[in-house]
Amino acid sequence: MATLDINALLDPRLWPSTRLVLHVAFFLAVFFLLKQLFDLLDLARLKHLARPKGSYRIPMILLTLLFGALLIHQATWQLAGIYRPQFIGFMQLHDRREFNPAHWIQRGRLLDHRGEVLAYSEESQGRVYRRYPDGPVFAPVVGYTQPRFGATGMEAVATAHLNGGEPASLNDWGELGRQLVTRDKRPRGKDLVLTLDADLQRLAVERLAGQRGAVVILSPTDGAVRVLASVPSYDPNRIGAELFLDAEAGTSLLNRATQGLYPPGSVFKIAVAALALERGFSGTLDCPADGFTTSERYRKIRDHEYYEARRSGTSWRGHGRIGLAQAMARSSNVFFAQLGVQQGRDAFQTLADQIHLNRRISLHESPYGRFGLITGELPSLAKTDRHGLAQISIGQGRVLVTPAYMAMLVAAVGNQGVAMRPRLIAREPAEPFARFMSASTASQLAPMLRLVVTEGTARGIDTPRLRIAGKTGTAENAQGDAHSWFVGYAPADRPTLAVAVLVEHGGYGSLVAAPIARDLLLRAQETGLIHRDP
Amino acid sequence: MTLAHAWALRWPERRLLLLCALAIGLGFAMVLGSGYAEGRSFQTLDLLPLLLYVGSLLAMHLTLVAARFQGDQILLGTLAFLAGFGLLAQSRMGTLDPSDPANPGLYLFPAGIVLMLTVCLALMRGRYERLAAGQWLWAGLSLTLVAAILLLGQRYRGAVYGAGLITPTELLKVTVVLFLASFIDRHAKRLGNWGKGFPRPPVRDLLPLAGFWLALAGLLLAQRDLGMFVILNVTLLVMLHVGTGRAAYPVLGGLLATGGGYLILEFFSHGQRRIEAWLHPFQDPTGNSWQILQGLSGLYSGGLWGEGFGEGHPEYTPIAQSDFIYSVIGEELGFIGCVLLVLFFLVFFSRGLGIADQTRSGFGKLVSVGLISVLATQTFLNLGGVTKFIPLTGITLPFISHGGSSLITGLVSLGLILAISEGTPAGARKDKAKAAPSQTRAEPRPRQTPRRVTRGTSGEL
Repeated sequence: MATLDINALLDPRLWPSTRLVLHVAFFLAVFFLLKQLFDLLDLARLKHLARPKGSYRIPMILLTLLFGALLIHQATWQLAGIYRPQFIGFMQLHDRREFNPAHWIQRGRLLDHRGEVLAYSEESQGRVYRRYPDGPVFAPVVGYTQPRFGATGMEAVATAHLNGGEPASLNDWGELGRQLVTRDKRPRGKDLVLTLDADLQRLAVERLAGQRGAVVILSPTDGAVRVLASVPSYDPNRIGAELFLDAEAGTSLLNRATQGLYPPGSVFKIAVAALALERGFSGTLDCPADGFTTSERYRKIRDHEYYEARRSGTSWRGHGRIGLAQAMARSSNVFFAQLGVQQGRDAFQTLADQIHLNRRISLHESPYGRFGLITGELPSLAKTDRHGLAQISIGQGRVLVTPAYMAMLVAAVGNQGVAMRPRLIAREPAEPFARFMSASTASQLAPMLRLVVTEGTARGIDTPRLRIAGKTGTAENAQGDAHSWFVGYAPADRPTLAVAVLVEHGGYGSLVAAPIARDLLLRAQETGLIHRDP
Repeated sequence: MTLAHAWALRWPERRLLLLCALAIGLGFAMVLGSGYAEGRSFQTLDLLPLLLYVGSLLAMHLTLVAARFQGDQILLGTLAFLAGFGLLAQSRMGTLDPSDPANPGLYLFPAGIVLMLTVCLALMRGRYERLAAGQWLWAGLSLTLVAAILLLGQRYRGAVYGAGLITPTELLKVTVVLFLASFIDRHAKRLGNWGKGFPRPPVRDLLPLAGFWLALAGLLLAQRDLGMFVILNVTLLVMLHVGTGRAAYPVLGGLLATGGGYLILEFFSHGQRRIEAWLHPFQDPTGNSWQILQGLSGLYSGGLWGEGFGEGHPEYTPIAQSDFIYSVIGEELGFIGCVLLVLFFLVFFSRGLGIADQTRSGFGKLVSVGLISVLATQTFLNLGGVTKFIPLTGITLPFISHGGSSLITGLVSLGLILAISEGTPAGARKDKAKAAPSQTRAEPRPRQTPRRVTRGTSGEL
């Protein structure tokens, strides 16, 4: 059979050399054909027609010039594409052809603010591999880059820089291009220093191990993000199809810190208190043990002490008439539900705008993507929906926030009401993002948050070593046990770090999230991120 | 002329076709070999596209000899290479699947060759002059074609296309040229009259043409076929210039086109997006400019020589087999491969224009010039778009891209040009000899003579 003979004749191992021979032979044949074509032009002239007048010469010259210009332009991409830094950056990221010379560049490393390596490139047997020494720990920020599945995270957003593609001058780039062409030295991109603190982030991930949750730590005064952890995460050293196909494993791709929308529970009382203070609230409210509701149709909103008493078979007298500071320290739902309903729907609309809910904030942006965070969601309610308003006032119902945003919000309290733009890249300058509340509101709120730790729901984490201020949260949700929250900052009088901890279905914020926050802040103090109290 | 004489006359064509078959055969071995190296087993049926190609060339040559055809041979050699190159590219892209011998795509080229020969033989010996009589028939047919596709076609990627493989508007490239040639040839003198003193166009004589053109342009723009719109407009201006000898037409047209271009872009969002992708490709690299940048990445990977047919990864460029076939060629055969391809196109155009130059029939001259300018504009728009020289217009590369209607139209156009290259019968040529002295006596503008010849010929027919 002819088929079998030919298959036996061809040996795949011989293919590389056969290919080269065919390639050369094809070009030779085409060259020869073209030469014959030109030789025969005159021989095959149309003698039976009228004599040529040559009137086609000028159009032909024009056409040749036009196509010549096209080919020259093509050559500036095809042969001299190396002089287009953005083009090389694009190809490194999005071109999956293995023989593309752009892949010859060794990408720069990603470092934490102390110079610890979070991602680097390594050459092995003529190919370049990207390595992530800490595996899943930094994946929510660093992301991955991989020939088959592309890139994400800072690897994608900062790709041009990592490839050396943001040259300060064309000379710098020319040197890189020369190395790429001559291959006498493997060209290297540029390192990128992040604001992250590797040690602190490792601790955060360790403390969340086995659970689902997120930790965000940032500096209230300059917006530098020190920790941005999301657990579970994926290992960027091992990116495979199963990561994207398996729905269960897929949740590891979700960045809970910046994209995970959770009911805030009591931590949202910070925002409600800020709203009331801005509008001049200074009195007390009666908080009966039996609770508060806007209409008989709805279940009453009660304080957790009521439920605790009922569970233990005793009775509880209620808080009685208390002011804002006491209500904050004890996290009184009855107080805040009344307070919120008093302020009214329109006030909440203004609040949502002022504290930038329903937004996306960009931490770093480039044509190759953006690293951003969602702040939260606070939809406008119907005018008659007073119960919805009461729910929102205690951080339940239709309000949702991300952990990263809560860190920004509490940081604003510690920074005289101004939220700084969160930033991940060390060399970027600090800049204010927005004023979330007036300085006087912030200065009234700050002692209340300190009171929460000294006397209130978070007194379990009070420590003589560090003056922590903050707010716990225990957010009920339809999916299971309550989410455990703690947001706060330290030192209380001159904050240098703000923190938000969320543990999905963790239970009481005071028991689960708050201790994690304390341990992280104490570690930060040991490593010098927080200056010791004066 | 005896058969032996015809056989001897056509030896250059024979040699060129043989060389084409050799080169394409080598390319085909490369495509098959790379498939084999990737683990596909070799089937005898895999050779079917090559056999059909070589068979078509052979049949074409023998038919032309048998018909004692005296027309051009270089055009055929060039076409054979371009079409073969297209065949290679399509086999490489897997659009010509030979495992199913009933795949209609396989027989497109043979069918196109048959059609080309039919057109050529039916219209040779000056019979093409009769096409001029159907002036308004061509106009009506053109409008019907666009109107029909507007009513029956499907929307796809922001424009209207015909069902499946068939894009009837491709035929416009022939029918519109036929209409323009007959109209301009018939009214050449009056269209060339721009008055004394300050030049102003002969508005009254242009009215029928303008009416037709407005209807056509309106329909084309309604289906957002910007590429075709540009091609036909360029062709109109070139033909008006050649037919009347007035440079004022391209100048005025150029001015109108600049103004009209802005207006059109105002109303066509996908046109704007393409301009944006052209000017600022790195603004939105993963969205708007994805295709063009992937195409350019392919070119860059190809470098000077490329990796050989079948070795690249054109599957990373969206719709590479049709509009972006040039970037596949650039990836696999490198810059040199692209230069060679462009050279073949240039030889093709120059030969086509040479035929127009030697044709003394005004109608024949206009038809060849029109068809060549259609093909040249189309080639330039395609290559320029893929290499980011000009904004992307989304049209096919003649003879190379995947797309049956485009190939068939190209071959029909070539059939017409071949028929024209065969010249007018002896009687008409004698007539022309008589007319020749009057040419020198009359105005120096060359447009005068062809018109007289046409009249003489039609009088005899």
